[in-house]
Amino acid sequence: MNSPHARAAPDDDYAQARKIAVIQGEYRVIDDPGVVLTTVLGSCVAACMRDPMAGVGGMNHFLLANPQNGTTGSDQVRYGAYAMELLINDLLKRGARRDRLEVKLFGGAKLFDTLQDIGDSNASFAEQFMRDEGIPVSGGSLRGRSARRVEYWPISGRVRQRMVEDRSIAEQETRLVRRPPTPVDTGAVELW
Amino acid sequence: MPAASALQILVVDDQLTIRSLVRNGLQHIGVTDVREAADGEDALRALITKPAHLVISDFNMPKLDGLGLLRAIRAHPPLRQTAFIMLTGRADKDLVDRAAQFGVNNYLVKPFTVVTLREKIEEVFGALT
Repeated sequence: MNSPHARAAPDDDYAQARKIAVIQGEYRVIDDPGVVLTTVLGSCVAACMRDPMAGVGGMNHFLLANPQNGTTGSDQVRYGAYAMELLINDLLKRGARRDRLEVKLFGGAKLFDTLQDIGDSNASFAEQFMRDEGIPVSGGSLRGRSARRVEYWPISGRVRQRMVEDRSIAEQETRLVRRPPTPVDTGAVELW
Repeated sequence: MPAASALQILVVDDQLTIRSLVRNGLQHIGVTDVREAADGEDALRALITKPAHLVISDFNMPKLDGLGLLRAIRAHPPLRQTAFIMLTGRADKDLVDRAAQFGVNNYLVKPFTVVTLREKIEEVFGALT
């Protein structure tokens, strides 16, 4: 899936839009057509998902842990599935219907010359998740060797992508690639 | 001390990925009789057709959500004794409180490990063999 299928948006639209940045580990769901969600991706992946009928859309931004850092492939799927579920559940809560969801996937670049291609792992997880859940992938841009800046209009589904040659993104991700936090119960209510 | 292999469990979630993760986790701890349902209505139909010892259910689902499923089970005498573990997100304290009012047996915070899954089941049934 190398073709972004992304329509160029007039700069005026971007200039006038309220920009909300989605950083790693976060997600945002929006029903305001005047908002554009932005993010910068290296080996991370962002799912840009919407229900075109309901007029609601959102973006997540996740980085699966490197299995070499003490996690297993199963752990990766578990955390990735959770990142997707948060986005999907919030979309459904705001009126989206699961059978109308569509998604564009971005990111998953290989920024380092190492044996472990975590970008490819992230991209493959996202593709497999959408296949398993029956959510059609209507576009996007995955893998490659460059970081990306992505701007997503969640109501119209319009996306603009720029490739970014900035080593600081790779360095930032290196600091962020760590074992995911051990699941912690809320502890607030013990039922049994 | 129940045998894990004797437990009949129904996993309810609208995401196939999550159902598969729970099923794999259950198989890892020795539970082999695992059925799946994609929403609360499907789950209720499945339980009426064939009861289970335990339901592990998500909250956010179309048609009938996890809380609705729990209430329906507790209101239906043949199913009333079915143990129920609710899958929740970290920020769902209100949900956990409401589920407690309707007789949930335990809850499991996502994302969870196989060890936690086993612990939560054992808190309901006792140590599994």
